[in-house]
Amino acid sequence: MNDLAVPLRAIGGSRPRIDADLKVTGAARYTTDLELPRMLHAKTLRSPHAHARLASIDASAARTMPGVHAVITRDDLKGLNPTYGYFIKDMPIVAIDKVRYIGDPVAAVAAETEEQAVRALERIAVRYEELPTVATIEAALAPDAAALFETPQMGIVPAYGVGASGFKEPMKNVCYRFAYTFGDKAAFARADHVFTDEFRFSRLQHYFLEPFVALARVEAGQIELWTSTQSPFALRKELARVFNHPEQAIRIHVPLMGAGYGGKNNCKAEPIAILLAKLAGRPVRFCMTQEENFLTQSQHAAVHRLETAVAKDGRFIARRARVLLDAGAYSDASPLVAEKAGYRSHGPYRWEHVDSAADCVMTNTTPAGPFRGFGGTQASWASESQIDMIARRLGIDPVALRKKNLLKLREAYCPGESGMDSDLAEGLDVVCREIGYGRGEKKRGRGIGIAIGFKDSGGINKPAEAVVKVTTTGGIIINSGSIEIGQGVHSAYTRIVAELFNAPTERVSYAPINTDVTPYDQGTNASSGIVVMGVAVERAARACIDQVLAFAAEQLKCRADELRLDNWSVVKGNEAHPLMPMIMRKFGGTGYEFSGRGYFKAENDHHAPLETKCVSWEFGWGAAEVEVDEETGKVTVLQLVVSGDAGRAIDEAVCRGQDEGAAVMGLGQALFEGMQYEGPVLANLAAAKYRVPLASDLPERFRSITQEQGHGPGPFGSKGIGEGGLLPVAPAIANAIEDAVGVRISSLPLTPEKVLAALEAKRAAKR
Amino acid sequence: MSEPIAISLTLNGRALRATVAPNRVLADLIRQDQALTGTKIGCDQGTCGACTVLVDGIVTASCSTFAWQVDGKMVTTIEGVATNGALDPVQESFKSRSAFQCGYCTPGMILLAKALLAADPNPSRATIRDWISANVCRCTGYQMIIEAVEDAAQRVREGAQ
Repeated sequence: MNDLAVPLRAIGGSRPRIDADLKVTGAARYTTDLELPRMLHAKTLRSPHAHARLASIDASAARTMPGVHAVITRDDLKGLNPTYGYFIKDMPIVAIDKVRYIGDPVAAVAAETEEQAVRALERIAVRYEELPTVATIEAALAPDAAALFETPQMGIVPAYGVGASGFKEPMKNVCYRFAYTFGDKAAFARADHVFTDEFRFSRLQHYFLEPFVALARVEAGQIELWTSTQSPFALRKELARVFNHPEQAIRIHVPLMGAGYGGKNNCKAEPIAILLAKLAGRPVRFCMTQEENFLTQSQHAAVHRLETAVAKDGRFIARRARVLLDAGAYSDASPLVAEKAGYRSHGPYRWEHVDSAADCVMTNTTPAGPFRGFGGTQASWASESQIDMIARRLGIDPVALRKKNLLKLREAYCPGESGMDSDLAEGLDVVCREIGYGRGEKKRGRGIGIAIGFKDSGGINKPAEAVVKVTTTGGIIINSGSIEIGQGVHSAYTRIVAELFNAPTERVSYAPINTDVTPYDQGTNASSGIVVMGVAVERAARACIDQVLAFAAEQLKCRADELRLDNWSVVKGNEAHPLMPMIMRKFGGTGYEFSGRGYFKAENDHHAPLETKCVSWEFGWGAAEVEVDEETGKVTVLQLVVSGDAGRAIDEAVCRGQDEGAAVMGLGQALFEGMQYEGPVLANLAAAKYRVPLASDLPERFRSITQEQGHGPGPFGSKGIGEGGLLPVAPAIANAIEDAVGVRISSLPLTPEKVLAALEAKRAAKR
Repeated sequence: MSEPIAISLTLNGRALRATVAPNRVLADLIRQDQALTGTKIGCDQGTCGACTVLVDGIVTASCSTFAWQVDGKMVTTIEGVATNGALDPVQESFKSRSAFQCGYCTPGMILLAKALLAADPNPSRATIRDWISANVCRCTGYQMIIEAVEDAAQRVREGAQ
């Protein structure tokens, strides 16, 4: 199955995606483009205070404003379970007792026009009693800090396997703690050196161009929703609980998505749209502004402390990791991010002992949630920075130090866990060669840094199911819950299924997502499209083909294993038998549709720390060459090389696009991008103030290399590649800066101010 | 001040008369009144470029342009780029090189590239980079877009021969 020598017809190379014509002509329809007859528009009133008691709210004047059909305040939540979240259900649809960040929704209005809705919001009278705020991780953990929640919130701690544990609300302003350990802590005593370093990770805004948006209709007990979500089935379950509504009477459609980068999961625009639609008796469109996106979700800022024990020859012995994630005002997916930030903190290296803990710290800022990399970005930033620092302290080449300790192909990540499905050293060689590592003489102010981004991929305990159907005329239709979010997953499945059917890709289509009929999927996330749902799709195609061949064998009075498919004929020996006439003969004038189901889920396994072994491992090998202006501290990235392992590339251009897009996100995070809080106030709220990378920010030389090592668990040896390219960029650049000018910057972004301050401190120390 | 204004313009080659409120933006005229939803609204502040259209060939943020400002002008949206169902060379290049992912910025990027190639049929890579820097793409990392525009320039030149 992993034999790269097998010639394939539909897999590999680069071909136009199945959504290409729609997307280059403007015909692509996203949730934002949809309208329903009699549709109303929703707008929200958001808190101007970071932390306040909601003393009173009076919306009576708003309810009688022109064009207004429904208003929601806390008085309109009766009969609902009005809070939501992943493990912990702490975020209300609109504020109930308190507001906890600037932008916390307080009320919502549905009106004939957006303008009327905005006018009505102005007539809602709210009286707040301000409370002390905690705007940072440190402030939230101070003994006298104000508490965001005075009482425990409804929630669960999931089952964990050997070595892992979770704690709900272990202390004030910490909503969740994940801990993981293996080996004996006495290992620390055997080390020649223990290095303790602390790293600070910044907080990006997802900045998807299509905002959070939902269109809801509630009629005759049926909730129907069109929304831009990565996880319609998980959302359906959560909405059923929130609205006390039977799951079979909630139908969710997901059109093409204007991206998500992890952010479009669980309840966002949906509860307000549904509740307003229910109250108004008319469909409601709730499309957030981009400012509201900033006030709805972000990445997790983090403080990451690593104590790393090593032998004098550079052998890694033990690591203690303490991660503090800024969860913002509500828990959202923070506990899940903590799991991964904690679990991934020791990186793809061999250790005798590991002891990690990651806390989700609540602050009066925008709630943080899933973001491409999902804890792995934070962990890679800290770990790959520190490994370079250790190499320099020990006088060992940073690449050699990594190679000495890297896990080998198939070697388990930790006890009970699956093995590496890429050769890490081989990947490292690829980027070192490309950047010219160790070649040429060192020039003043220039340096090269490398890093290995690392995360598990495929999600945890994810079931996935797919159906593949083929019509009388050989038209193939794929039904699966994977969402086309930009990553090209629908095209990839089309190629895989075409390959198996021995058919041109033009004969394969992908059905729209509708939770009533689409087979179950847990969500389009965790780079699971290829290694989890991809396997389900492959199995569904094979099951469908088996039916076709069994049918043909019956017709031709032979065994199925004597037959193979070739472009909607079956071939027996040298003879091709077109299928369509055979089908018409048996089923009559209307013909038939064959369909096969495929299912995949990693087995439950209590010996694995996260209760199932990780399906796959995703790596981003990165190398950067920088020039540092010692007068100004400005860092210029001269070269950036990133490389991921697709196992086997289903489409080379799509793989390249994933790596390059992720790398440029990482470049922004490394050099300038980030949400800047001044106390609890987001200073760079809105597009005009928040800088994302533009084409002009690309390094002079920017290369991505898609490796095809062939060890992936997906179809034809493939692996997921959606996140890895982001992970190594910031640490590689920080490592390059130290190589260039001998200063270490341990907080993101790596601004000229920080570099200059470090250079001046270094000069001062020399004097 | 709130009196509706009568305007006439050419939208994707067709004459259009409309009466618009003075505060109606071009993007709403295009998306809501004309149901041409290929033009996207991203930031709604004239920063991201998702709403890019051409007004008399000039790159314009339709979210930040009043509808009355295009009175008497020629407006081209993404729906007006292909002719008789045949893709324009820029569209062909974006398609054949998969120079898009989610596709939300793609209409704006294609119109930006069209304007660039009209201004400079043989742009250098640096020129393409400068022009493309007007719009945000959060998915691709831009390099494949730049290459698609280079490819489109070549297609246009070959087509002209």
